[in-house]
Amino acid sequence: MDMSMRERDGVAIVDLDGRLDLSSGTALKERVKSLFDQEKTSIHLNLSRVEFINSSGLGSMVSIMKETRLHKGRLTLSDLASYVQEIFDITQLTNIFEIFPTEKEALNSYHPVVTN
Amino acid sequence: MAVYELIYPSVLDSEEPMLENLQVLLYEHGVCDRDTRDFMLAVSEAFTNALLHGNRCRPNKEIKVLININHKVLCADVIDQGRGGEDKVKQKRPSSLLSEGGRGVDLMRYCATDVRFVEDEKGGLKVSIRLERQDDN
Repeated sequence: MDMSMRERDGVAIVDLDGRLDLSSGTALKERVKSLFDQEKTSIHLNLSRVEFINSSGLGSMVSIMKETRLHKGRLTLSDLASYVQEIFDITQLTNIFEIFPTEKEALNSYHPVVTN
Repeated sequence: MAVYELIYPSVLDSEEPMLENLQVLLYEHGVCDRDTRDFMLAVSEAFTNALLHGNRCRPNKEIKVLININHKVLCADVIDQGRGGEDKVKQKRPSSLLSEGGRGVDLMRYCATDVRFVEDEKGGLKVSIRLERQDDN
């Protein structure tokens, strides 16, 4: 799996491309850990190019989520393919992750717009 | 009917080539996307179990993946060289949503038509996966 990073409005965005499994999940954890080391605790994972996720990949995501909470940060996900969403649904992990349909909606949630 | 035997050392780096090889086989046999994803996920879970729990990531231990493809059904036997563990695998459940493991068996059962765990004749665990194809190629 390939990973690339960018930042927008103070949110570190990780774009994932490929399969999220045991080895790539471990690599993702390491990448996110490096973000924590840089004191970046608002993290968004864009899964639009994730075609496959297994229980090891899910476990890595749970680990990252718990680490984010320990750092008093926030983790969001977006653009899940229908099959990946299905896997999150049947494992009930949609109950513990903040999942948005699009990256734009996820990023907007970090900076809510106040209207009078 | 086509039968394939794939053998991998028990190292983390074996996972990707196994999935890649499996995906290629399924594509070559015209398996539909849904069946491909379900079968790959089920086999992946069995493979990870064999790697981590059966063979405990020992490079000198092998994981054998036997694939049988016909127009009606996809079958896989994933065999490790560990010490059984049939009961432990069958009973494994995540203790909570925040558990990082324990979802593999449930995902296997969700994806496949039938999953069986038996002790292999050589003492390891054999996970047999069967998926009835949705397409009819």
